[in-house]
Amino acid sequence: MTRVVRAPIFVGLVLAIVGFFFGVAFLGALRTLRGQTFWEIEAGMSVGYVFALVGWVAGVGGWQHWGREWFGLEAKPYTLTGWKRYFGFSPDHKVIGVQYSVTFVVIFLLSGLTAMLIRLELMRDGEQFFTADQYNAAMSFHGITMTAVAVAILLGGFGNYFVPIMIGARDMAFPRLNALSYWFVPPVAVLLIIAVLMGGWDSGWTAYPPLSVVNKHGQVLFNLAVITFGLVSILGGINFLVTIIYERAPGMTWSRLPIFVWGAFAASLISFFFTQALAAGLLMVLLDRIADTSFFRSSEGGSALLYEHVFWFYSHPAVYVMVLPGFGVALEVLSHLSRKPLFAYRWVAGAMIGIVLLSGVVWAHHLFTSGMAPYLHAPFLVLTELISIPTGLIFLGAIGTIWAGKLWLRTPMLFALAFVFNFLMGGVTGIYLADVPTDLHLQDTYFVVAHFHYTIVGGEIFALFAGIYYWFPKITGRMYNETLGKLHFWIMFIGFQLTFIPMFRVGIQGMNRRIADYPAEYSDYNTIISLAAFLLGASFLFFVWNMATAWFKGRVAEANPWRATTLEWQVSSPPPEHNFDEIPVITDTPYGYGGGPAHHRPFAGGAALATEER
Amino acid sequence: MRRDFTLFAIVWALVTAASLAVAYFIIREISFPTVGAEEAHVIDDAFMALTYMASPVFGVVIAALVVAVLRHRSSGPADGDGARILGTGSVPVVWFGLSSLLCAIVIVYPGLTGLWELRNHDEPDLRIVATAQMWSWTIEYPDSNVKVFGAQELVLPKDETIQFDVVSLDILHSFWVPAFRQKIDALPGQTRKVYITPTEVGDRDSDVAYRLQCAELCGVGHAIMAMPVRVVEKAEFESWLKEQQSVAEAK
Repeated sequence: MTRVVRAPIFVGLVLAIVGFFFGVAFLGALRTLRGQTFWEIEAGMSVGYVFALVGWVAGVGGWQHWGREWFGLEAKPYTLTGWKRYFGFSPDHKVIGVQYSVTFVVIFLLSGLTAMLIRLELMRDGEQFFTADQYNAAMSFHGITMTAVAVAILLGGFGNYFVPIMIGARDMAFPRLNALSYWFVPPVAVLLIIAVLMGGWDSGWTAYPPLSVVNKHGQVLFNLAVITFGLVSILGGINFLVTIIYERAPGMTWSRLPIFVWGAFAASLISFFFTQALAAGLLMVLLDRIADTSFFRSSEGGSALLYEHVFWFYSHPAVYVMVLPGFGVALEVLSHLSRKPLFAYRWVAGAMIGIVLLSGVVWAHHLFTSGMAPYLHAPFLVLTELISIPTGLIFLGAIGTIWAGKLWLRTPMLFALAFVFNFLMGGVTGIYLADVPTDLHLQDTYFVVAHFHYTIVGGEIFALFAGIYYWFPKITGRMYNETLGKLHFWIMFIGFQLTFIPMFRVGIQGMNRRIADYPAEYSDYNTIISLAAFLLGASFLFFVWNMATAWFKGRVAEANPWRATTLEWQVSSPPPEHNFDEIPVITDTPYGYGGGPAHHRPFAGGAALATEER
Repeated sequence: MRRDFTLFAIVWALVTAASLAVAYFIIREISFPTVGAEEAHVIDDAFMALTYMASPVFGVVIAALVVAVLRHRSSGPADGDGARILGTGSVPVVWFGLSSLLCAIVIVYPGLTGLWELRNHDEPDLRIVATAQMWSWTIEYPDSNVKVFGAQELVLPKDETIQFDVVSLDILHSFWVPAFRQKIDALPGQTRKVYITPTEVGDRDSDVAYRLQCAELCGVGHAIMAMPVRVVEKAEFESWLKEQQSVAEAK
């Protein structure tokens, strides 16, 4: 019993509940003094949540291992071992990486299930089993949870796990901050699920006011959740930036960083510099609701357009937070499994930074039809099209790397190659949306839906699976099943194409997006799309089965099953607690294939030793 | 290496040709909704121009993937490494130059030229006020004091340039008739204009593209916030307008 009571999650939960009621009582007291009712649902939930959040992170370990120090007490040591580490406040970047990965894979599957319900509803015209309101709730939930997955899973999961090892560090620069940012995630998920149970909210993941100021209470929980999530992103961004700038091993110069580290660095720059805009926008919506401000109420001088600018000022760069680490993973896999150095390394790294710079000045292409000042159309058209130049260099890196390589077509390689194809589709169709004339028609249609699923799912999520299969033996110490992996790949790839290619056409034809029902004329195509989507959904059964069985019963993996040259493969699988007994000294680039110097490979006390020990 | 380049050239030509064929015979012929307005031509032409230009670029990446997968498979690291090609020479420079050039072309045509064409519309012959609210449209013909409501039709004359003043009474909506292509959001309390010149007679009963569809998420009724559109000859439009006036006066 005492073991349960002392479990960090239990303590966190109790303090969260105490915090919530404290917050409610605090606000209620103030309101009563002012002659208002004690309880008002939206203000009550908001203030209660702030205290609940503090209670939660304090209870889950923030106080024991950190907060005590601020009051002159000694921080408690980390005592959890084995699987229990994953359910507590652990500063170990590898534990945190697994925490992020598993949490977000679960959310991904849950959100994917929601997508299946959405496709079931849209299989025919007319109302099937969702009311329009329930449909909007499901669509909104799918939108924000998948956005959160896309923002966090690569950086939070692989970034945490591999960036320190790949640069030869023992941990992240701020391990406790790292743990803290992870433990902000469960409240985000809980809030969104409670919001759905309360009937949901109907403003999508974009939460455009004035709708988001006047709709149901679920919107408040959405705003609180996403602001909290923004905090996760900012704190994570700071941690990666500092880690990569200051924790690199001797000799690990900027031009010797593995490309995934560059992707993580570029994405972190964006997280760090832009996320505040999103948080500010959502906070303004929240204040319009609970504090009678009028940022967006036009009747009181507010402007709905203001929000769109603020929102996209973050949310366009955010797509690069999603996809830059995806570029990194895919290029990493392409290089190691073609056994060739990354082609045009400096150009690719430069392109990533170029994308970061351009990402901040293209947001208004989401606003071509918004009624913003027309003279802004031309400059944003030009700036947006420019982003095709650095993106083109990423493609050059990809195809130059596999050119004349020795392609080992294992599951991760298949996913990485599919990434190139899918992102090509996504990139090419993006040009139509950057071009003002065509965008005027295509904006808010299924063409857009297909386009961003090609970039984010076809791009980032395919790269995610490339990474999952590639690094699975390193993280778990066991090998996944190759046949199941390939089955997963082929069904997912074919299902994905069959789902999203018809969406381009039905969008051009005039089917707008985010609708619970559509004119009967679009019915045939939607039936095809839904059937294909079920195929896509079914592919994940193979994935889940493969992961679950391999994690516990899979063949024990060697330290370096791919014979790859980067540092993470030179330590044991899974890596030892502090990664390296002795910090490695780096003398050359990470891709020493084809007879080149491979000084990521041998280092004092490294690979050979770790491999033999297993 | 030489055979790689030969295969690359063949696959590139095939993929490019196939893309162009799909563009010409499928996208151009059967994918667009009815071209119901002058402006729709500009937009569809831009779409096709982009598709034609994208085809050879698409072909380059696909051909590279095909060559690598067909000719350079291995069964594992025991087969040895690929050639040490670092890409530090002139290839990235050429690639960068070409892609910048292509980007510049796409920006000018069909981007800026298309934008200029859309801006450069005729003086409007008719002004119509389209007012959005959750979840219906109200259409007003201010010059003839006629108003039609959600369940009725938006009736328009053919071959006249129409200025739509689009505004919302509550939250964001968007004014969009697929047959006319252009879209503009309805902002609460602020009027935005869009100019459309219908060129084809048509109606919602026979063509799904003739509907005024809200295209900005506006809550529970968003999907059904659509109004049938009917484009008629000018004479018919005038008599329809007269009829509506007499109906309004009779009330």
